[in-house]
Amino acid sequence: MSGHRVAAITRRLLQGFRRDHRTVALLFVAPIVILALLGYLIRGSSSAPAVGIANEDSGPLGATVAEQLMKSDQISTIEISASDGEAKLKDHSLAAYIVFPPDFSQNAAAGNIAPDVHLEGSQPGEDAPVIQALQKAMAAAASQATGRTVNVEPHVTYLYGGSNYDTLDYFGAAFVGLIVFFLVFVITIVSFLNERSQGTLERLMASPLRRGEIVLGYMVGFTVLALIQAVEVLVFALAVLRIQNHGNVLLIFGMEALMVIAAVNLGIFLSMFARSEFQAVQFIPLVIVPQFLLSGILFPVSSEPQALQYVSNVLPLTYAVNGMRDIMVKGADLTWSSLQLDLAVVAAFAILLIVAGTATLRRRLA
Amino acid sequence: MSDAYAVNVDGVSKSFGAFKALNGINLRVRQGEIYGLLGPNGAGKTTLIRLLCGLLEAHAGTVTVLGHRMPNVAVLRQIGYMTQQAALYPSISVEENVRFFAAINGADEGVQEALELVQLCDRRSSVVSTLSGGMRQRCSLACALVHKPELLLLDEPTVGVDPQLRVQFWESFRRMAANGTTLIVSSHVMDEADRCQRLGLIQYGRLLAEGSPADIRAQGGSQNLEEAFLALAGRRES
Repeated sequence: MSGHRVAAITRRLLQGFRRDHRTVALLFVAPIVILALLGYLIRGSSSAPAVGIANEDSGPLGATVAEQLMKSDQISTIEISASDGEAKLKDHSLAAYIVFPPDFSQNAAAGNIAPDVHLEGSQPGEDAPVIQALQKAMAAAASQATGRTVNVEPHVTYLYGGSNYDTLDYFGAAFVGLIVFFLVFVITIVSFLNERSQGTLERLMASPLRRGEIVLGYMVGFTVLALIQAVEVLVFALAVLRIQNHGNVLLIFGMEALMVIAAVNLGIFLSMFARSEFQAVQFIPLVIVPQFLLSGILFPVSSEPQALQYVSNVLPLTYAVNGMRDIMVKGADLTWSSLQLDLAVVAAFAILLIVAGTATLRRRLA
Repeated sequence: MSDAYAVNVDGVSKSFGAFKALNGINLRVRQGEIYGLLGPNGAGKTTLIRLLCGLLEAHAGTVTVLGHRMPNVAVLRQIGYMTQQAALYPSISVEENVRFFAAINGADEGVQEALELVQLCDRRSSVVSTLSGGMRQRCSLACALVHKPELLLLDEPTVGVDPQLRVQFWESFRRMAANGTTLIVSSHVMDEADRCQRLGLIQYGRLLAEGSPADIRAQGGSQNLEEAFLALAGRRES
């Protein structure tokens, strides 16, 4: 073991970094950006789940419990009428609504406390605070009214999902699409970079091939590959992991195909900005991780700080994730305007990237 | 009449930023001729070849290939281009590479012929990444000529090729030229220059001298081509 020789290796390594400013920047900037983003996302979370309260109780108890609920800091409450509840769940303005039926006080006196809880259900993280807040509020109200502890059995219904719908169902729907998106992106950017560094792209450019033909060829090739992968992922998710799916499998495929097309062209486009495979891999923390954090995969967009919501709303992946969840969790079909929007945004993004990828193909040669 | 020539380069300049890669180049290559582009590294040989196959566009002057003003996609079908490094797909076989380049040039046949020419028939199913440098160079040549182009641009084709095979390469170049194919071969190896019918000497982006090897010797005042070249280069500089 010679210290001199070890030092030679170390020195050569650091000399390389001295000229690769991008890698140095990545090493020192990316961790701070990612951690800051994560911190802001979690600590800066704006809203407790929005819960509607419809008090139809003819007796006094409903009002007392409602008052306790409004004091809760786990949820933010508004008063609604029971007939509006379902529509507000569907348009995302409420995560849940609670109805105190007309005979609520009457039944309570008979020892049977049963408010109706209607949960949106597609985001499991939002359900628990609602139930907890309700149980606390009713326990407080009941002990006020009766002076003894009361056992509370709320009657819970779900718009989507159900009591056996869990976190995996929620994440699974998003991940089925994302796994394919990320892997295809990485494969494309590396193989396109190879095409350039091994000189074959120059040969392609000196042949009668048109740029569009190259892009289309890549797109078809990777799309076929990725759709086979998508079948595998989907079969595993549905048959082995038993992730719930209420939607049409063909729709899932359609969405995945759009994501694959976008991923292939994102890879072609970004390969222009990388000089080596090393630099290509750097796009993962720069391009992929922020999208991963902000597209609503882990944290619902509605619970993000307002400033980040603006960012999330312009990220195409947000719409892809939302679309996959709409299909798999909510059983959305093409008549849903939210799904139409999601598909349109992802399709528009894919088209934009096709144009960008094709346009950059000539410049990368010079 | 430019149409009498396979290649007509007229007053062509090309810069990359402040660097003048080519500076007022004029040259003509007749059909069926083997034309050698000679010059040191960085003289502008590769830039000129890239202009001929439409990868670059001239800032000044005109490039006419097979009667078409370049860049022109339609004429690319008639051009075969062998890049300096053996540009191949390393993870597929020799035959698959050749077949691919045939297909993108719209040719379905000629694969067998091309493999025979470069003597790679017995290695046709070998994956390219397992080949030696010389074999890759041969495979690369097969890819450039599989579609039987009228104009073959060869950028230092014999680098890394052993002397025996080099002789065979030149034999097949001559055969192709006899069949009417025009070849432009770049090199910085002088002993190859003698095999060309005409030579163009390039240095600092300028055409120093042009003519048959005998003409160049006469112009440079030396029986040795290398000395003649150095004499011509020195004369220009002083």
